[in-house]
Amino acid sequence: MGGMNYTAVESTKMATAEIFGKTLVELGEKDPRVVALTADLAKSTKIGDFQKRFPERFFNMGIAEQNLFGVAAGMAKGGLIPFASTFSVFASMRATDQLHTDICYQNVNVKIIGTHGGTSFGQAGSTHHAIEDIAMVRSLVNLKVIVPADGYETANAIRAAYETEGPVYIRINRGFDQTVYTGEHYGFQLGKGVLMTEGDDVTIIANGSCVFQAIQAARVLEYDYGIHARVINLHTIKPIDREIILQAVEDTRRIITVEDHTVLGGLGTAVGEVILDSGHACAFRKLGLNDCFSAIGFHEDLMHINGIDTENIVKAAVHMMQHAQVVEMESGGRVVKAVRFEGRDLEAEIDWTDEV
Amino acid sequence: MGKRITQDDLYAARIFFNSALPLLRVVIESRRELSSAFRGKSFVFQVSALYPRAPGGKMATHFVVENGRFTVKVDAVHPSPDIELEFSDLHKFILFFSGRGMPLPRMRGVLKNAATFASLLRALLLMASLLQASDAPKKLQDQVLLVKLYFYLLPNGISQLNKAGHQKIHQWALQSPDRAYAFAVTGYPALNSYLRVKEGNSKAGRGEYPRCKPFLTLRFDSPRHALDILMSKADMIDYISKQYLTVEGAPEFAALIGEFLFTVGDYAKGLYLDWKTE
Amino acid sequence: MALTKTEWIELEHKAAQLRQLTLDTCNWAGSAHMGGALSSADFLTLLYHKYLNFDPQHYDDPDRDRCIVSKGHIGVILAALYAQLGLVDKEDLKTFNLTGSSLGMHLDSNKVKGLEVSTGSLGHGSALALGDALAARVLGRPHKTWLLLGDGECDEGSVWEAAMATSHYKATDLITVVDRNHAMIDGLTEDVMALEPFADKWRAFGFDVLEVDGHHMKKLSQAMEQAMAASEKPVCIILDTVKGEGISFMAGDYKWHYGAMDSDKYARATEDLKEYEAKRVQRAEQEG
Repeated sequence: MGGMNYTAVESTKMATAEIFGKTLVELGEKDPRVVALTADLAKSTKIGDFQKRFPERFFNMGIAEQNLFGVAAGMAKGGLIPFASTFSVFASMRATDQLHTDICYQNVNVKIIGTHGGTSFGQAGSTHHAIEDIAMVRSLVNLKVIVPADGYETANAIRAAYETEGPVYIRINRGFDQTVYTGEHYGFQLGKGVLMTEGDDVTIIANGSCVFQAIQAARVLEYDYGIHARVINLHTIKPIDREIILQAVEDTRRIITVEDHTVLGGLGTAVGEVILDSGHACAFRKLGLNDCFSAIGFHEDLMHINGIDTENIVKAAVHMMQHAQVVEMESGGRVVKAVRFEGRDLEAEIDWTDEV
Repeated sequence: MGKRITQDDLYAARIFFNSALPLLRVVIESRRELSSAFRGKSFVFQVSALYPRAPGGKMATHFVVENGRFTVKVDAVHPSPDIELEFSDLHKFILFFSGRGMPLPRMRGVLKNAATFASLLRALLLMASLLQASDAPKKLQDQVLLVKLYFYLLPNGISQLNKAGHQKIHQWALQSPDRAYAFAVTGYPALNSYLRVKEGNSKAGRGEYPRCKPFLTLRFDSPRHALDILMSKADMIDYISKQYLTVEGAPEFAALIGEFLFTVGDYAKGLYLDWKTE
Repeated sequence: MALTKTEWIELEHKAAQLRQLTLDTCNWAGSAHMGGALSSADFLTLLYHKYLNFDPQHYDDPDRDRCIVSKGHIGVILAALYAQLGLVDKEDLKTFNLTGSSLGMHLDSNKVKGLEVSTGSLGHGSALALGDALAARVLGRPHKTWLLLGDGECDEGSVWEAAMATSHYKATDLITVVDRNHAMIDGLTEDVMALEPFADKWRAFGFDVLEVDGHHMKKLSQAMEQAMAASEKPVCIILDTVKGEGISFMAGDYKWHYGAMDSDKYARATEDLKEYEAKRVQRAEQEG
C-alpha cells in the first residue's frame, strides 16, 4: 500500500500542539507589548505563527541562545513582554548564565518556552533530549516552572504566564501529545495541581506527557487488579502545590512520581522534598531516567524503555501495593496510620485467546 | 498428490480457519433473514481440509449451533459434524476461500440437512461476495458489515500470524511493550475492534479496548472511507490530510500496523501465491 | 552641541570629583576594581553630565536614554557616579562591599535607583542593550541606548552574537563603546587573548568604528556626537584608555584590575589625582 511512510513535512502537518503558536497570536492581538523571539527555530517551536501575524514584533536571533535570552531581558526592561522560544535542552543549558543573571536576577517579565521537552524529540538523540532542564531551571530564583500535559493545558499555561509578572519557564513537547483534557475550561491555576482520577490506594503524580500515561495506568490498575489509583497532574513544579501532595500522602500513603526527565532534581525530587519536609511517612518511588542518557528512538518507545509508560507505572504501583501496606497502629493512645512493607501476591492473569 | 505445502500456505490456512471462517457467525447474526433460517435448529457444521501433518490428519473450524445460536470452535476438529465441507488438501481449501478457484470440497450431510445447508451456503456466499469484491458495496448496510468483517478479520489475522511465528510479526510482538491498536469508525461503536500485543503475546478483541485508552487508534469518519483504505482504493496520508482518517496516538506507529494489516490481506486474497510464481 | 571651553573645564572638575569619590569608596571598602573604573571615568562623566537624556529626578521616565554598563565590575565608580547624580546617598558609599549594604562590587539594579541593569557576568550587556533598543522600536518611543563594554570582555562570544544582531537589525540608536584599556585580570589583552585587529573585527560585524583618546574630553565628545548622528550603520567607539588613569602607581598596571587600599596608598593616590586634575584643566584651557 502506497504512502505508508511518514515524512517530516507530513508529520508537521499532523502535529496537534500548535496551540502554543495560536495562543501567542491571541495574546499578540490583545497586547501590543507581546513580542516573540527565537534562535532559528521559528517553525520547529511553532512561534512562526506569530511571525506571520506580527512580523514587526518577531525577532529571530539566529543560532545564538545567549543573545536570545539577553535581548529578551533587555526588551522586558524596555517595557515589552517577550516570549522566547527554543528547544528545552538549549533553553535550560545553552544560555543558563543569561537565564540566571539577565532574566531571573533582574526578575524581568520574560517567558521562556522550551519545546521538545524530555525525550519527545526522541530520534534526535541525547544532544536534543532535555532530561535535566527541570532540575536546572527549578533552582533559579524568581522563575516559575510549568510542564503542561497537553495542548489545552499549554494554552492555559501560556495565558497564565502572560498574566503573571516575572519570569516563567514552560516546557512543552514536540507536538504529538495525547490529550488528557476535553477543553481548556477545567480550572487551570498556576501553582495548583489537578486531580485527574480519584483513588485511595496509591497516588501517581505526573506532569507533561506522563500525565496521559498515569491516567491510563490508573484505568489498568482498576481493570486488571481492582487497585484504585489517584492521579495528580502537577503541571506547576514551582511554586509547588504542597496541599495536594500532602493530602495524597495522608489518604494513600503510597506515592509514585513519573516524569520524562532524570530522577535527579525534577518532579520526583520536588515532591519528595515536600513530603520529607512534612515529616509524614509514605512509600515513595520516582520513575524517570536513572542518572543515564536515554536511548534514541520514537518518544513512545523511549517512554517504555525509560520506565515511564503506562505498563511501567502499573508495575511500580502493583509492586508498591505488594510491599507497602497502610496499617493503623496505636501510638500514645491514638490511632495513627503507618506504612508496613511486606510481600503480597498480585499477579494479573491474561487470557491470550483471540475473540471469535 | 498436490504441491508441497509451504509455510505461506500454512499461514494462509490459519488465517482462513481461525480468522476468516469464524466471521460466518457475524454475517449470519447481521442479517435477520439469515439468522431466522437457523431459529430453533441445533447441529454441528465443520469446514476442514486434509493435512496429514495436522493432529487427526486435518485442519478444521467448526460451529456448534444450539437452538440457532452459533458458537465457533477454531483449531478443533469435530469427529462427527452434521454437515461438513471437507477439502482434499490445503491448496484447494485456500483457492476456494481466496476466491481464486472453485475446487469443490467433499460435502457431508448435505442431503440429510438440505434446508440448513442451503442457508449456510447463502451465508457463505454473502461473506465471500463481500470479502472477495474489489469494489466497496453500494448499500450502507453492506458497507457497515464489510467494515466489521475487516475490522474483525485483520487484527485477528495479525494475532494469528504472530502465534504461528510469522517472522516479522512475531519479532515485532516480542519487542513490543503492552500496547493496544484499535480500529474505529466514528458513530459506529459496534464496529470497534482492537489488537493487544505484549512481549510476544497478542490478542484480537472486539468492542472498545477495555483496559485503558489504546496506544493507537485508527479512526475513520465513515464506513465508506474505511473501506477505501482497507480495500487499497485510497492513500492513507491523503485521507489523513483530508481528516477522513485520524490517527489517535503517535502517527509513526501507524505505518507498521498498517503494513501488517495488508500482510494479512495479502494472505486472505491468496496474493502470496503470486509471489511464489515470480 | 560641541564642547565649549567653560563646559570642558567644568566637566574636567566633574571627572576629577568622580575619580576622587571612587577612590574614597575604595578606601572605605578596603579594596575595589580601580583600574577599569578609572579608565571609564572620562566617558561616564561626559555621557551622564552632557549627552545622556537622563533626569535623575525622573529616572524611570520611559523616554529616557539608557546606559548599559556591561563591564559590571566597575560598580565602585557607578556607585560614586550615582551618588554624584543624587541617586545614591553619599553616606551609603561608606558601606560599599560591606555586609547588608545595598552596594556590592557588582551593582544590583533592583537596589540602586536609576541603574538600568545588573551586570557582572561579562558579555551580557550587549544583548540587554540591543533588547532595549528593539523595545524602543516596537513601542515607537525612540531613545538612545549607550553600551559600555570592557575590552577583555570582548573575548566572550555573546558580545559578538549581539554585535551581529545589532547590525542585522540596524540598531543605530544603540551606540557601542568599548573601553580599550588593554588589560585584564591575568595580564595584557594581547598576552592573554589577542584582540587585535580589534577595530577591524567590529567593522567586519557591520559597524562604523571611531577610535578616540578616551581621556581627552574634546575628542571624545566629537566622537560621541558623530555616533549619535549615525543612521546607516551602528557605531562602535573604541576608547583608547589607560587602566588606572590618574593615579601614578595604578596607571597601566594590569594588577590594578582589582586591588587593596591602605592609608599610605590612599594619601599618595589623592595627591596624584589632584596633580592629574590640574594637568587636565590646563590642557582644557590651552586647547579649548
